[in-house]
Amino acid sequence: MDELEFRRRIYADPETTDSDVVEAAKADEGKRSFWNEQKQLDKQLKQALKIDVPEDLASKLIWQQSADEFTRYKRRSRWYLAMAASVAFTVGIGLTMWYHQPLSIGGQALAHMQYAEMEHAHSLLPVDLNMVNAKLASFGASFNEMLDGVEVANYCHLSTVRSLHLIVDTPQGKMSVFVVPKRGDISVPQEFADKQYHGESIKLDRANIMIVGDKGADLTEMKAEVAKRIQFSA
Amino acid sequence: MFSRNKTESAQVLSGMKAKHQRYEALVKAFHADIYRYAYWLVKDQSIAEDIVQETFLRAWRSLDALNDEKAAKSWLITILRRENARRFERKQFDTVDIDDVSIHDDTQQADGDIKDRELQRLLGGLSVEYREPLILQLIFGFSGEEIANQLGLNKNTVMTRLFRARNQLKEALEKQNEQRGRVNG
Repeated sequence: MDELEFRRRIYADPETTDSDVVEAAKADEGKRSFWNEQKQLDKQLKQALKIDVPEDLASKLIWQQSADEFTRYKRRSRWYLAMAASVAFTVGIGLTMWYHQPLSIGGQALAHMQYAEMEHAHSLLPVDLNMVNAKLASFGASFNEMLDGVEVANYCHLSTVRSLHLIVDTPQGKMSVFVVPKRGDISVPQEFADKQYHGESIKLDRANIMIVGDKGADLTEMKAEVAKRIQFSA
Repeated sequence: MFSRNKTESAQVLSGMKAKHQRYEALVKAFHADIYRYAYWLVKDQSIAEDIVQETFLRAWRSLDALNDEKAAKSWLITILRRENARRFERKQFDTVDIDDVSIHDDTQQADGDIKDRELQRLLGGLSVEYREPLILQLIFGFSGEEIANQLGLNKNTVMTRLFRARNQLKEALEKQNEQRGRVNG
């Protein structure tokens, strides 16, 4: 191995254990001393590279890791918080919309039936066409002919809607006729029922009529009667 | 159900604990060498510290990806080199090419003898492409092959650079001795 190649190999790696380098050094005193010199320099270089490490660096590295973990945890919980807030918000919106849904008053009419008997007892005056029409006038409506068997004619409130409640005695038992003025926030179901009664409604241009009778009663005739007689003033 | 949750969370906890221990072991074993490597790469103590912090933070976040403990050293070096490259991308407008400026680092003067300081100055004067393989060899005891893998160079290139690095150091030392001899004589 020539001098240049030897130096090249030693410079590249003074710690080399390559056998040809070792052999060459054994055979040549000059090469050996060059190698030793180089090893010495490397030792010094290693020493020189050992600059001081900031004393607190290790603690800082460990600290920043736990800080990072903490912020990530916080971020994660904030994410959950945002999720919860979002859910609460949605529920809130949903409830509000649900509240603003047109109120169905079928149930209210059924509930009113319970009072029908009691009201009946209180009515002393006979009910005639004039009286019914006087009450219907506030809805802009009138009957052109009296219904048979009207026993009671009274205003009542179904939810917040002032309606006229007629109690009619028919061959099929007592029936109630509700005249309900139209309002945007009130919906009148086509049919409704509970354990005791069932009802159907007629949708007219300016009012809704609900007929409620006993469970088994046929409301068709009464519907036809009412629809035929009621009129609305232009 | 409850007890199962309990054991699960206990497992998660002990998993976290194991991860912490692993991380702390990593810090203790390598922070000094990694810091020195960073310093000799950028030749600035506070930048070196920043890079080391960033490196260990990233190491922590992807600690699960480190399967082979033997590879930890070169894994950390890889992260650090990436961080350093990123720093250059960020700051390419306000940095000077440090290799063109002859620097004398006052902060390192306090420790070590004159020989150390001299060598430190000479090491700092090497261009980074010569300095980096030499540092990897001297600090981490990497072989030519390992350096080649780490830097993505072929082994012959690495050997040539190591040779030139030492050659330049040697020449500079000889020149200095001559000058000193002349001045003293």
